[in-house]
Amino acid sequence: MPPVVRLLAKRLGTSLIVLVGVSMLIFTIARVIPGDPARIALGPNATAEQVEALRERLHLDEALPIQYGYFLRDLSRGDLGISLYTNRPVTADIAQFLPATLELIVVAGLMMILIGLPLGVIAARYRGSWADHAVRIFTLLGVSAPSFVWAVILMLIFAFYLPLFPIAGRIADSYAIASVTGFLTIDTLIAGNLAAFGNAAWHIVLPAFALSLSGIGQAARLTRSNMVETYDKPFIEMARSYGFPERRIARRFAFRPSLIPSLTIIGLDFAAMLGNAFLVEAVFAWPGLSRYGVAVILRKDLNAIVGTVLIISAMFLLVNIIVDLLIAFINPRIRYSQRAS
Amino acid sequence: MNRISKSLAAALLAATTLATAPALAETVLRLDEVPVGELDPGKATDYADSILMFNIYDTLVIPAQGGPGYVPHLAESFEADGNDFVFKLRQDVKFQSGNPLTADDVVFSFERMKALGQGLSFLFKNVDGIEKVDDATVRFKLSQPYSPFVASLVRLPIVDKKLVMDNLGEGDGEMKDWGQAFLSANGAGTGAYKVVSHNPQEETVMAKNADYFLGVAEVAPDTVRFRYGLEAATVRTLIAQGEHDISSQWLPPEVLKSLAADGAQMLKETGGGAFYIKMNTAKPPLDDVNCRLALASAYDYASGLKMVAVTDDVAQGSPSTGGVPVGMYGAKPASDAMNRDLEKAKEHLAACKYKPEDFNLEISWIGEVPIEERFALLMQANFAELGIKSEIRKLPWALFTEQVTKPENTPNISQIFANAVTGDPDTLLYPMYHSSAAGTWQSPEYLKDEAVDAALEKGRAETSDEGRQAAYTALNDRLMEIAPSIYAYDRQSIFAASNRVKVPALSDPAKAFGLDGFGFTFRLMEMTGE
Repeated sequence: MPPVVRLLAKRLGTSLIVLVGVSMLIFTIARVIPGDPARIALGPNATAEQVEALRERLHLDEALPIQYGYFLRDLSRGDLGISLYTNRPVTADIAQFLPATLELIVVAGLMMILIGLPLGVIAARYRGSWADHAVRIFTLLGVSAPSFVWAVILMLIFAFYLPLFPIAGRIADSYAIASVTGFLTIDTLIAGNLAAFGNAAWHIVLPAFALSLSGIGQAARLTRSNMVETYDKPFIEMARSYGFPERRIARRFAFRPSLIPSLTIIGLDFAAMLGNAFLVEAVFAWPGLSRYGVAVILRKDLNAIVGTVLIISAMFLLVNIIVDLLIAFINPRIRYSQRAS
Repeated sequence: MNRISKSLAAALLAATTLATAPALAETVLRLDEVPVGELDPGKATDYADSILMFNIYDTLVIPAQGGPGYVPHLAESFEADGNDFVFKLRQDVKFQSGNPLTADDVVFSFERMKALGQGLSFLFKNVDGIEKVDDATVRFKLSQPYSPFVASLVRLPIVDKKLVMDNLGEGDGEMKDWGQAFLSANGAGTGAYKVVSHNPQEETVMAKNADYFLGVAEVAPDTVRFRYGLEAATVRTLIAQGEHDISSQWLPPEVLKSLAADGAQMLKETGGGAFYIKMNTAKPPLDDVNCRLALASAYDYASGLKMVAVTDDVAQGSPSTGGVPVGMYGAKPASDAMNRDLEKAKEHLAACKYKPEDFNLEISWIGEVPIEERFALLMQANFAELGIKSEIRKLPWALFTEQVTKPENTPNISQIFANAVTGDPDTLLYPMYHSSAAGTWQSPEYLKDEAVDAALEKGRAETSDEGRQAAYTALNDRLMEIAPSIYAYDRQSIFAASNRVKVPALSDPAKAFGLDGFGFTFRLMEMTGE
């Protein structure tokens, strides 16, 4: 078996075990935290009889292992139950809200890579110069405040005082785009509507930038410190003595070995954004899964909590697998260690 | 690398150029509320649900504009017949699907609401049944005299039976899911606005129904975008930029204040409810009426109102005059505002069987309602002037509703915003003060008082306006005597609005409705074109 396939199989197996563990944990936690989900779902005006009837319908009057049995039975049929928050199947809610969040974090992830890594390279290559200091200030600002603070600041500056970007939503109200993938930037292209594509892309810039600022800072700082360390290695001296241009040394000999820790951090940040995006989604009225996740937790919407956490966990694991594979691809030592094992 | 940078820059430039949205010819009203918008009228309870329901569906009666009472709407007329009520339907009403309205639809709507047992279906527990007399007449059979019944009908939206039956989802029995899946995503009413799209977490888009049986004015918005869950900072920015028209009532006073300073209109809705500070009468020391009266006299009503003031003239509350909000049967006139009287408080405390040094009051506030913490601190300071010690406790809503099910777990003091879901005082006062209703979020007082029970029951049984006025006046007097609650202020909902829209029902008392949310009847709004 090729080493990469072996690595993939190993990671998939571990991920499955983790998912089962997460499902048991979240199923239990959601049911033991204070508050009656039936009472919350039916609202303050519901009578005791209405609440009791809903408790029975949700099997909340039964023992926890029996409730978990019902959950597994339904899950095997692809049914995560009805959300008490939206009164719709949880699967329908996730299918509707997940693409919005994924689109946001994919763009934020791209920003982390396309802005964070080059900034780190520049700072390392010109260490001690004004460029290094400027990058340091920028990255420190990025990591020193949470993304929702940046969301509000960016909105105030670039949408309110300088109205360059839209304030809220995914696309202007005037466009009606049929949902195919749920990613508006892709659906607008499928519809052949370039104006709508431009509008959707314009809408995503501020929220994605706010969300990625902390990751950009981390990626830049890590890339810089690793590259600075690599620059002190003897093989860099040797490359210089052979007369390689500085640009080539930076790209080929200093950057590539420094990429692995940065990629690991970007991967973790990318996955963590699924859970952390809710405040940015709230500020920019972005109808995504993170906002939905917080709303269902506050309303103790049991089915939706379990469904959302499972999906976020699965995405987290998936991103980690992709990062592991990427690192194995970049670093032959990891790849070949699989063969040896 | 240079080539990539140039390509990216070109793409961004192209995107910015292409991003200019096409001009809109139609008038669009944009407003927001907290999520989630429940489209199924049989499950509607919240403010957002009510706004959807009042515009997509119609009811047999609606609240009278500019005064008390209810007037026929889908009904042509109605009359009481003993315990029964007979409604004659209008013949010129069609559903948005084109199906005509008949008595079958009314019967179906009622039976559906009872069968689902959700939303505000409890309002109809005194109705034994409903029968179709003929195609245009229905009879509701009540088990006992129940005068708030007509008011309850504002919460019985009439759905298109044929359309729902054609779209039944999976479920047991002949009626399967009673159309729940269909109605959670589609409209099936006669209302002035049709559902164009619905995302319960993002927005519901509605368009004018050109065939509405009462017609819809040209100046009413062509399209309504009803958004959910916008943050206060976002609403503040959107309104200032002219991209939003009416805020929800949940904006903090300071945000409303800054919008008012920018020239936004402040729309008002009054009369539906009040802010009550509830005292647990089932455990010491507030089982002693004198202790309760001491707290009610020591509370600083004027400072409480200042905390919810938006401008010098506008506040999210108006002075309370007693247990019954101003404007309802039995309420005292607005000039009889409650006031602090520390001397009187000391007299009551002296008559109380408990001494201040012997107890420590637990003052709770609901975690999801931050303004209540300020009221808790105000009470703590006010009561300390009497030598009463207290501790403040934050309770999440979910925990609060559980704790109040037992008197021993219920805090000494709780804070509640309550409103009459039909506009009738019965739906506000009976669940709070009748002894049979004790132990819910509305009734953490655990009040057991025969005179209060008798007045509440009389208020239900009396059919004449005079009789009901007398019953609720007696109730209000008794509530003042025994002080189960501190009547902090009558609630006044404030909505910030742009000048692109006029909302007479929320700006002119002569055109207001005595039912929360009904002021958001879009067909009565006017887009100014500004």
